Amino acid sequence: MSRIEQFQYDNRITRAFGMASFIWGSVGMLVGIILALQLIFPVLNATSTGLEFLSFGRLRPLHTNAVIFAFVGNGIFMGVYYSLQRLLRARMFSDRLSWIHFWGWQVVILCAAYTLPMGITTSSEYAELEWPIDILITLVWVVFGINMFGTILKRREDHLYVAIWFYIATWVTVAILHIVRSIEVPFSAFKSYTVFSGVQDALLQWWYGHNAVAFFLTTPYLGMMYYFLPKAANRPIYSYKLSIIHFWALIFIYIWAGPHHLLYSSMPDWVQSLGTVFSIMLIAPSWGGMLNGLLTLRGAWDRVRQDPVLKFMVVAVTAYGMATFEGPMLSIKSVNAISHFTDWTIAHVHVGALGWNGFLTFGVLYWLWPRMYRTELYSVKLANMHFWIGTLGILFYAVPLYWAGWTQAMMWKQFTPEGTLAWGNFLDTVTQIIPMYAMRVFGGTLFFVGTLLGVYNLVKTGQKGNFLANEDAEAPARQSGKVVLAVGEHWHRWIESRPIQMLLFSTILIAIGGIVQIFPMVFIESQVPKIASVKPFTPLELEGRDIYIREGCVGCHSQQVRPFRSETERYGEYSKSGEHIYDRPFLWGSKRTGPDLARVGGKYPDSWHYNHMLDPTTMSPGSIMPAYPAMLDNELDLSDLPNKIYALRKLGTPYPKDFEGKAIADAKKQANKVAENLKSQGVKDEGMENKEIIAIIAYMQRLGTDIKAQKSATQK
Amino acid sequence: MYKYLLQSVEGIQWFGITALLIFFTAFCVAFLRAALSSKDDMQHMANLPLDDK
Repeated sequence: MSRIEQFQYDNRITRAFGMASFIWGSVGMLVGIILALQLIFPVLNATSTGLEFLSFGRLRPLHTNAVIFAFVGNGIFMGVYYSLQRLLRARMFSDRLSWIHFWGWQVVILCAAYTLPMGITTSSEYAELEWPIDILITLVWVVFGINMFGTILKRREDHLYVAIWFYIATWVTVAILHIVRSIEVPFSAFKSYTVFSGVQDALLQWWYGHNAVAFFLTTPYLGMMYYFLPKAANRPIYSYKLSIIHFWALIFIYIWAGPHHLLYSSMPDWVQSLGTVFSIMLIAPSWGGMLNGLLTLRGAWDRVRQDPVLKFMVVAVTAYGMATFEGPMLSIKSVNAISHFTDWTIAHVHVGALGWNGFLTFGVLYWLWPRMYRTELYSVKLANMHFWIGTLGILFYAVPLYWAGWTQAMMWKQFTPEGTLAWGNFLDTVTQIIPMYAMRVFGGTLFFVGTLLGVYNLVKTGQKGNFLANEDAEAPARQSGKVVLAVGEHWHRWIESRPIQMLLFSTILIAIGGIVQIFPMVFIESQVPKIASVKPFTPLELEGRDIYIREGCVGCHSQQVRPFRSETERYGEYSKSGEHIYDRPFLWGSKRTGPDLARVGGKYPDSWHYNHMLDPTTMSPGSIMPAYPAMLDNELDLSDLPNKIYALRKLGTPYPKDFEGKAIADAKKQANKVAENLKSQGVKDEGMENKEIIAIIAYMQRLGTDIKAQKSATQK
Repeated sequence: MYKYLLQSVEGIQWFGITALLIFFTAFCVAFLRAALSSKDDMQHMANLPLDDK
């Protein structure tokens, strides 16, 4: 019999991450409500009053980053730091590393909260943070990894419970995703260009973006489900065998599914098909996991009626099931043709974020707080109220947006008997769904109010209880650090007891998908056919493009015309991959709150854009786009231009040698031309050639025009 | 340079099929492992969260 060792679990770090999750979650949700209101009342963008940082384009990434990395991120660490210690019968490897991890992560969040509203963004969804913050994230993640693996190595329990496998897979996959997606070339202290361009950048982005959902919002939360649901229900998981299959199948399949974000785009067909097939296959492991969770409650459903913790968890797992059924359905090309670019996607992600992540976080918090504070929950009634308000909030959020998405898609695609678009003015399809947007605000506000009730309840629970910072525990010492397999025991026991091997196997499995999809796309030139008439952006257009990125225009405007008659009729010829080879980063977008801009070049006169930026409603009455009067006043800053050109040239954009030295003069020359053009169209303002508006007009007028040049040359 | 190297890889089109086969194998192994594992083992593992005091 081995010696019994006494030790203590660290509850302080769990509490810190829990509090951070609740605080940042509230902030992220509040920003979400502001964004939703801006879509109904564009004046709330406040850009007319000089508060550009409050515009929809700049706040949207703040909302998504706050919810994913601050709310859910801190929620993950709360769950991991609590369950890991107990499953391994050991205190965390190092208290100091725990706190470096905690504060490091909060600094990352604060950096995001400052830089994103300031317009410092890469514009790649969920990877918007610029290169210095990317480095900080990497360091913090390494600290987390050392702390986690250090704990695993000094554990007292031989076997690793399935929750820990999910944590290991999360750690390694997020590390790979983050590093690969963040490969960028800085051209200034805070800005960079992506190494890959156009269609390759798009593939890399959605390999990253989709797996941020998979390995940040899903696998760590599945680990938490496998630990906290049995704890709350006080019964073991329904089938441990199923959990093994769930884990291996899920991590392998998930990594392939990214291209379903790019269906009908100019991505090669074989990549799209691969994404669709693996997305549909995902139903199996996802539902295996969901059923495993729900069936754990067999025979305990009477308790679900009384215990708010279980109520939250049941709805969370159900929402997981709904979202993971819907995801594969949306990956079927014919369904995607309708849903993509509409609010359907927004509804889908919120079922996941509010239902699965939100409710599981609340359930875990309500379970943890009374235990750590050695008391009862302050008010079960209030928690139940939170549950019902939150559930109604999810419904009022999602249902109107499903309706909005479907309505808008139908309007986009409807033709008259004469064969013209029934809703030729894009704006008509927007004003139609404003009532649904209003209902969404109601739903989001309900959810937010519920969250505040939760904060109050937990604070009161803390006040009434007595916090147990270090929880006494004891366990037999681990004998030799080695597990000896008895005759007939299986190899999986061997892996289960060897974290490093588990890490290696997981890495190999998740790497296969990435390698097979990305390598041929990136390294085989024939995958991206070139178009001779497509030329690099001029220096002025490049500046305009960077302003477009700064303002987050990509949040509402796509640049990708799909090969449907309803789209070619509305926007022009469908997009080709060769048109985007100089797009660093690619700006195809994933939502059309406004119309697609891939072929906007030459569609309107320069003066139209000038007036439209000053006040969109003058050109498009009823428009909900923010006004950008500051662009007419802000001086155009060309100081970074030589560095930009140099960085792009090094990346392969065929600017002539030493062009960086001539770039500023070139930009000024083109700016004068645009300004003269504006004057000839009746715009009388002085000094326009030095303002930002000129650059953005130059960029917009270039969009999609290169292949038109090719056509006219061919016709001649 | 590496672009041309990769392009010259014979049978690069088999990458996809190979990946599917690897998945199929990994899945079968995981399935067999789960199916063949002893009940006691599974019970011990499943009870880990509940015995952590």
